[in-house]
Amino acid sequence: MITLYQASASAHSASVRMILAAKGLDYSDREIDLAAFEQHEPEFLAVNPAGLVPVLEDGGRRLGEAFLILLYLDERYPEPPLGGGDPRARYQVQKWGKYVETHIAPHLAIVRWANAGARVGAGVVPGFDRLPPERRPLWQRAAEGFGQEEVAASRDALARAAARLEQDLARRDWLAGDEYTLADAAVFPHVRQFSALEIGVPEAVGNWLARVSRETSHGGGPHEVELLPTMGPERGRWG
Amino acid sequence: MIEVYTWEPNANSGKPLFCLKEKRVPFTHHYIDMGEYEQFSPEFLAINPDGTIPAVVHDGFVMTESTPAMEYIDDAFEGPALRPSDPYLRWRMRQLMRYMDNVVAPSLAMIASNRLAAPRFVGRDPQELRRELDRIPLPERRASWEKLMFNKTPAADIEESRRRVSEAIGRFEAILSDTKWLAGDAFSLADINVFATFHSLPLGHPEEVAEARTPHLIDWLRRCHARRGLREALAMGRGFIGARAAEVRAMLGLTEGAPA
Repeated sequence: MITLYQASASAHSASVRMILAAKGLDYSDREIDLAAFEQHEPEFLAVNPAGLVPVLEDGGRRLGEAFLILLYLDERYPEPPLGGGDPRARYQVQKWGKYVETHIAPHLAIVRWANAGARVGAGVVPGFDRLPPERRPLWQRAAEGFGQEEVAASRDALARAAARLEQDLARRDWLAGDEYTLADAAVFPHVRQFSALEIGVPEAVGNWLARVSRETSHGGGPHEVELLPTMGPERGRWG
Repeated sequence: MIEVYTWEPNANSGKPLFCLKEKRVPFTHHYIDMGEYEQFSPEFLAINPDGTIPAVVHDGFVMTESTPAMEYIDDAFEGPALRPSDPYLRWRMRQLMRYMDNVVAPSLAMIASNRLAAPRFVGRDPQELRRELDRIPLPERRASWEKLMFNKTPAADIEESRRRVSEAIGRFEAILSDTKWLAGDAFSLADINVFATFHSLPLGHPEEVAEARTPHLIDWLRRCHARRGLREALAMGRGFIGARAAEVRAMLGLTEGAPA
């Protein structure tokens, strides 16, 4: 029995939903209300002390980290195979999985937050103290509001991410080669938010977004784009 | 043919070397001298426009992400398996590697470069330093180097990095008191990943990594340092890494004869 702790508007959660659907796996859905900061309540922190969705429960084991969950699902439930057909494709899958975590998601969180003019209500702040120390500064900075310079740097980083996607997609239809893989599911829910945030999407990337939408429209397909201001993984601290 | 462009057998730069040696895969090593900024040379930028090392090139296929490249090496070549076959244990291995790559290794890099590299820039001509900075392709990298060159790393950041490293040492000690290797009963990429950055910690952080305080971590380091593959990779260094590793082996009571 699979249980998924997730949030509808979370891009990381969407990646996992897309792969569960592609594998035809049933699961029990535990929606966490990120707008109400349910992820910082003691009940959820008991599930994941980092206060991050998604978390997958399978066979009594709990797994965090969206992209690592995707790899797990593909290895545990191999049909249909979505991890890439050969070592090179599998490298591309891992490369994009890592890039989402270290570049796209952290910068996107900052831009989304600034775009929404988001502020954290005073009643919410005490919840930060329940987070592990490495998760606190990010939320504290979000609560204060990110500086213009930081937001501009994150916008630049996302424009560079779009250019990187274009480089790979100029040569092929899918991120890791000739077929839909975990890489597409890992990247798509994040990049489909770009336009709404006025981050330019090159034509090849736009075509790919449409291709992923079609591929996944038959079930578990993506919800409407919703720009929920919330903090994901931390931006790199050193290089 | 597999070619590896790296600096010393250390941290990210060391990962493919350790991995290929453990796997017993023959390869060509192109030494990129970071001290001479060779990673920003036109020759290397032609291979990796980001100017980051390592780069691993297999029959023309270029890989520049060190942890995914390790998975590729285990995936594409014969030799002892370096990943558990059980999907859950693989998840654990990857989770540890991600923790290492995103949280621990950058913290150690921040501490070490501020201690070892920053003094080199004191008194240098700022114009000249700016010109060197301009050669760095990635803005994130450039920002770190700028902090280093102009001594601008906030003290609080270094303090937080120390906290993260201490926490990691405690976490690994706890894991190793439970299982023989970091991702279970078998040596895996998680061990290589951590070893690449932790190999000489008893020297650099003797107050935290020592027999009395972290017996399981010390025992793990001793077992790692006794491995032929890891030791051969460490011997590929040209600078101080090899010398430090020899010092650690002596400290751990390992002889310099033929490794196990």
